[in-house]
Amino acid sequence: MQALIAQIINGLSLGSIYVLLVTGFNLLLLVAMIIHFAYPQVVVFSMYITWVVLLLTGNNILLGVLAAIGSSVLFNLLSAPLFQKVMKNRGEVDINSTMVLSLAMGMIITDVLSHSFNHGLPITFPEQLSGNSPVLRIGLITILRGQVWSLAVGVMAVSGFFLLLYKTRAGRAFRAIAEDPNGARLVGIPLLKTGLESYALTGVLGGIIALLLVALLGSASPGLGEQVANKVLAVSIIAGLGNLPGGLVVGLLLGILEAVAQGYISGSWSNVIAFVVMLVVILMKPSGLFGSKL
Amino acid sequence: MSLPLYYYLSITAVNILMSWTLYLPYRVAQLHFITVANMAISGYTAGYLVMALHVPFGLSLALGFLLGGLIGYVVSLFIGDAPTFAVVMVGFTFIYITRTVIENTPAVGGTMGMFGLPNIGGSPSFHRSAIIAILYGLVILVGFIIHRFDHSSLGRAASAVFADKDLAFSLGVDIRKLGMLLQTFSCTVAGGTGVLYGFIYKSFHLDFYTFQLVGIAMTIIFVGGYTTMWGTVVAAPVLYGVPLLFPPAIAAWRIVIYGALLMLVMIVKPEGFITRRTVFHVEAFLSRSRTKLNNSYP
Repeated sequence: MQALIAQIINGLSLGSIYVLLVTGFNLLLLVAMIIHFAYPQVVVFSMYITWVVLLLTGNNILLGVLAAIGSSVLFNLLSAPLFQKVMKNRGEVDINSTMVLSLAMGMIITDVLSHSFNHGLPITFPEQLSGNSPVLRIGLITILRGQVWSLAVGVMAVSGFFLLLYKTRAGRAFRAIAEDPNGARLVGIPLLKTGLESYALTGVLGGIIALLLVALLGSASPGLGEQVANKVLAVSIIAGLGNLPGGLVVGLLLGILEAVAQGYISGSWSNVIAFVVMLVVILMKPSGLFGSKL
Repeated sequence: MSLPLYYYLSITAVNILMSWTLYLPYRVAQLHFITVANMAISGYTAGYLVMALHVPFGLSLALGFLLGGLIGYVVSLFIGDAPTFAVVMVGFTFIYITRTVIENTPAVGGTMGMFGLPNIGGSPSFHRSAIIAILYGLVILVGFIIHRFDHSSLGRAASAVFADKDLAFSLGVDIRKLGMLLQTFSCTVAGGTGVLYGFIYKSFHLDFYTFQLVGIAMTIIFVGGYTTMWGTVVAAPVLYGVPLLFPPAIAAWRIVIYGALLMLVMIVKPEGFITRRTVFHVEAFLSRSRTKLNNSYP
């Protein structure tokens, strides 16, 4: 029983990161109308930039945090014109083209990370940022600092994001565009400006996720982006593309399911669980458990 | 035949076949990456049959085709008319699950891979010639079938689906059946290609079937041009060959170059370099040359 509780706590912290990632992914899908396959790779890229800044500044945490958020926002804003250009070329919203473009971005990021940083070897973060030290130990249950951080910050970030989305003027603009872009334009919502805001906002989210991954894992490797990307897409599809509340529920459930499976199944089989669930959902209910918002 | 030439020719043929297996379902706007997983499944199965059960290569290859087609057919029953994104995700999922299953199956070498596959027919030189002959025979056969498909009413129906699914449906196109046909055929070809891919190196390893392989195939299709099968034929040898001429320090960045090229093409020339118009002009030119040649003889 204690082992199960320990795995559930582990799963909640992992799930909160999935929720943040899928929220950023869905926001870009709904407002900017792009399928950003490389969004998790951008997050891992931010982790690497943080690592470099920490290395150069003698582990200055504040600068590390700023580097994570700044690099993610900058990357997202710089990629925005590329996505817009592709859609302009087609004369319409073209999710397929943006998907191919972002796949290419993912290829580049992964390969650059494996060539240019630490000779392609995994990087480890200093003790101050990574949360491997225990804060509570009761029998088999050990709660690590990183788990507490990721769960607490994850809950706060998601709550803040949902507050912004449902209780502010900017959030109403995001939702209006997601519901009906032409209608939103007619009532005077600037599509381009709001789209750019969504890129910036997901950039901030990306930076926060990068820091939480640092706290939870304490290390990163070039292939981490691909692994996380697949899980995020799995969550998004199981929940229903673009469904924000659905992503919240499924992200947490998947984190718990995966962590519990890790406790009871040997080898890398536990990683497959998300994909088996996703495969069943796609094949049986292509619009997802909570319905697609596209 | 020298070893570098053998590898260049054989991998180019594999790239052409692999890209065609993506090109065909993309005719109805489906990026069907399951073909990469199928290459691994059929390849490893054939490798196991040859190594452990001493099944002849020819029979293993045939079973590889069959297994690929069977998987493709069963999956297509569910996603024959699914949207692009869902098809992409099914492909990625299959790749991930396949890799995990292979990783955890000691009978096929697990993470270490499967090494020491026998030569086809005895000597290494015969093996190389046989592999090249089979691969290019397959390229010609599959190319012929795709060419006939593109010029048939089914090909026109596929173009209609790509342009406007609703319009195609209202014109009476059975989108699901067309998608199923293309997916099943692609998976069949992918199965056989996967077997041959492993026999080129006489080994199977998980590193052969990564997401990078998906990236390479996508670059070949989108840079070459996704509107005609000839884009792949031109792009595959160039994209694989040119980085081989670079100094090793630059060639190591091959995937970055591919990614950048893919992004550039998507932004500047979304239809790729070889379009239907290009093919039409080339065909018209060849036709004029043929007429001139015929007229020059009394």
